[in-house]
Amino acid sequence: MAVAEHSAGSSARLFWRRSGGALSALLSLVVTLLGLLVFTFALSHLSPVDPVLQIAGDHASESTYAQVRASLGLDQPVPLQFWHYLEHLVRGDLGISSITNQPVASDLLRTFPATIELATCAMIFGAVFGILLALLAAWKPGSVLDNVARMISLLGYSVPVFWLGLLGLLLFYAVLHWSAGPGRLDDIWIYTLEPKTGLVLIDSWLSGDMEMFRNAIAHLWLPVVVLGLLSMATITRLLRAALLEESSKEYVTLARAKGASRGRILLLHIFPNVRGTLITVLALSYATLLEGSVLTETVFAWPGVGRYMTTALFASDTPAILGSTLLIGGCFIAINALADALTYLTDPRTR
Amino acid sequence: MKIAVPSVIALALAASFAASAATPADTLVIAQSIDDAKSFDPADGFELTSVQAFTNLYQRLVQSDPQNPIDLKPTLATSWTPGSDNRSMTFTLREGAKFASGNPLRPEDVIFSLSRVVKLNLDPSFILTQLGWTKENVDAQLKKIDDNHVQISWSANVSPTYVLSLLAAPVSSIVDEKTVTAHEQNGDLGNKWLALNSAGSGPYQIRKYIPHEVVLFSANPTSPAGAPKLKNVLIKNVPEPAARRLLLEQGDADIARNLGADQMASLKGKAGVKTLAVPMASLYYIQFNIDANPVLKNPALWEASRYLFDYKGIANDLLKGQFQVHQSFLPEGFLGALNENPYSYDPEKAKAILKKAGLTNVSFKLAVSNQPPYLDIAQALQASFAKGGVKVEVQPGISSEVATRVKAHQYESTLNAWGADYFDPNTNAAAFAYNPEDGSKTLAWRSNWHIPELSKQTLAATAETDKAKRVELYEKMQREVQKNSPYVIGMQARNLVALRDNLKGYVQGINPDMVYYSQVTK
Repeated sequence: MAVAEHSAGSSARLFWRRSGGALSALLSLVVTLLGLLVFTFALSHLSPVDPVLQIAGDHASESTYAQVRASLGLDQPVPLQFWHYLEHLVRGDLGISSITNQPVASDLLRTFPATIELATCAMIFGAVFGILLALLAAWKPGSVLDNVARMISLLGYSVPVFWLGLLGLLLFYAVLHWSAGPGRLDDIWIYTLEPKTGLVLIDSWLSGDMEMFRNAIAHLWLPVVVLGLLSMATITRLLRAALLEESSKEYVTLARAKGASRGRILLLHIFPNVRGTLITVLALSYATLLEGSVLTETVFAWPGVGRYMTTALFASDTPAILGSTLLIGGCFIAINALADALTYLTDPRTR
Repeated sequence: MKIAVPSVIALALAASFAASAATPADTLVIAQSIDDAKSFDPADGFELTSVQAFTNLYQRLVQSDPQNPIDLKPTLATSWTPGSDNRSMTFTLREGAKFASGNPLRPEDVIFSLSRVVKLNLDPSFILTQLGWTKENVDAQLKKIDDNHVQISWSANVSPTYVLSLLAAPVSSIVDEKTVTAHEQNGDLGNKWLALNSAGSGPYQIRKYIPHEVVLFSANPTSPAGAPKLKNVLIKNVPEPAARRLLLEQGDADIARNLGADQMASLKGKAGVKTLAVPMASLYYIQFNIDANPVLKNPALWEASRYLFDYKGIANDLLKGQFQVHQSFLPEGFLGALNENPYSYDPEKAKAILKKAGLTNVSFKLAVSNQPPYLDIAQALQASFAKGGVKVEVQPGISSEVATRVKAHQYESTLNAWGADYFDPNTNAAAFAYNPEDGSKTLAWRSNWHIPELSKQTLAATAETDKAKRVELYEKMQREVQKNSPYVIGMQARNLVALRDNLKGYVQGINPDMVYYSQVTK
């Protein structure tokens, strides 16, 4: 009995610890998002741009101006405006964007898949080549391979993505014809594609039209490579440093003394031990890609959330700014939480 | 690397299959930025993208002749008779005219279309409220006479010719009442639905619109204007001008709009491409806020500034063909436009004017949008003014912020552009030469420039029925503003458009709405 009681007690404690952990994680998520909203809301209200004029136009009379101001709720005290915003938010209503005249929620549902598609593919590209380059570099530090890897990562890191995008278009689209032009699909396909998931690769695959699917790839690969180079550079640089740091540890010297080959040590001993760093780097990189692909989206006419947010910022479109901030903020938190969980699950040292 | 090489090759091969797709033979593909489009409802849309669409989606009672815009042609109306009171007009509607839905055109559609503009009271409604129409009285001003006659009345003191100009504006597009009211939501007169759809009688109708991505028009074969030559018009959003240029060069777009001078220069002489520089009704000018400090109120500063604007240097050398020198408030192509450019860059003369007025060490702040070409022009002005001893401190900001500051009178001077709202000289006279002290926020109001005499003349010109006399009035006002006003009007913009050279029948006029796709063939 004593044993059974003990075991029941410990599983109850474990349960409470776990659910308590989940609760506190949820609470911290809500608090972080709320903080983000308060900050963005305050900043939007400090902006010198008058959102009423943006909507009512130059010719609006005093009464129209007042009417628009009231309809936006701007005649109320700021804390009350914020409270109303939260009330609507709970119901899933993010307000109406003043630039598209559409509900912000539906705008985000339309633009976010485009960004997810681009960022995820770029992330996969960056991760595959980044890890490969870092391993090659750490295999023989100071060698020609290492220098080449460092140079590629330096280039990816320092060349402006906007310029790289235009250059890529010029070379692969205009000169070599290896890639399709800006946009997500050629005109003939735009007619027929019915968006289901918003991800063109999947939608075109589901449509059963393989020609359209190939066209989607033709449009996608260049922006993916351009954007992926950036994350590849970050991954290579950080992972290489982590691998080299790890290789100076005692267990590596021991393995070497035992006669293990350089490649074996790198892949089977060192690499698994840097997975914590790798997961963090990948997570950060992915979060940055989701938020920061605005320039790539502009060059490649990619209708994603980065461009939506920038257009909203320039037009001082508060509901759109708040909505996209919330979305990107949520993604950041979710990706970080996922990275923590992955590290926790795969690395017993962190438990 | 072993994995890398094959995957890159595989990707490239997959890409090369579909990379060289040309535009479909029955579709006109246009690359431009459509990020500005807020609504395709003619009572609401006032942005470049939507205004350019209206002429192709809708018809009005009267419309400008594409070849000679000053000439108004009967469109959905076949004729009109002014009333004896000079405050009304009766229109005969075109017989057999149908909307894209198949519904016939009725006087009720005309009444619904015009009154909903006033009732919705959105951005472009001021064009029609100039007739003295209000939410309360508009229903009484529009009357069905019989099944194909409708009477339009107004209470403002304006001439029937001026009324026709306003009825030819995009905001006066006639919508299909039955279709629109079927999609009404919460008494919005169909505004939400029309923002994304169309219900007109123009040569095209909206088939698909994905904001910030693409808008697709398909032919309306039963349009009273006749079926368009091409089945579809596809306008795709390409925000970056360099990417637009590449699409055109590759033949993946038939028209690329709003290119920069750089793109135009690199396209000149390229095989398969032709370039156009269409004069636009958009003027670039410096404006002083005369209450900001005593120097800015001094007419000597205004006059000296007219000799410190390096008109030719900026138009020809800096912005290679994107502008033409123009110094009066009516753009070239408008009725009564004065095409005299009496001022040229002369720093010595400016110095003498300032010296005579006792103005020394003059300096002022110039608020300007940080977008091209504003900032480039502002920097050129800084240099040209400096040669005349005037220090200009350029204050760049994002456009919406600069506009807010200027409208709040929180500026010393600004470099800005002014586009015409409709195709009648009053549109610019009412901005540059009108400050009625009733709270109307005109350009003159932004300058704090009090001009009772010019304001009177502006009103008189809209009431004048004789065309020749009207022209005379506008010429006089332009000369007055040119000589003595807190504006230095320097340049008129040109719209830089590039087309594939197999394209025929494309017409673009001076006003933003004068874009005609229906006769295009390729």
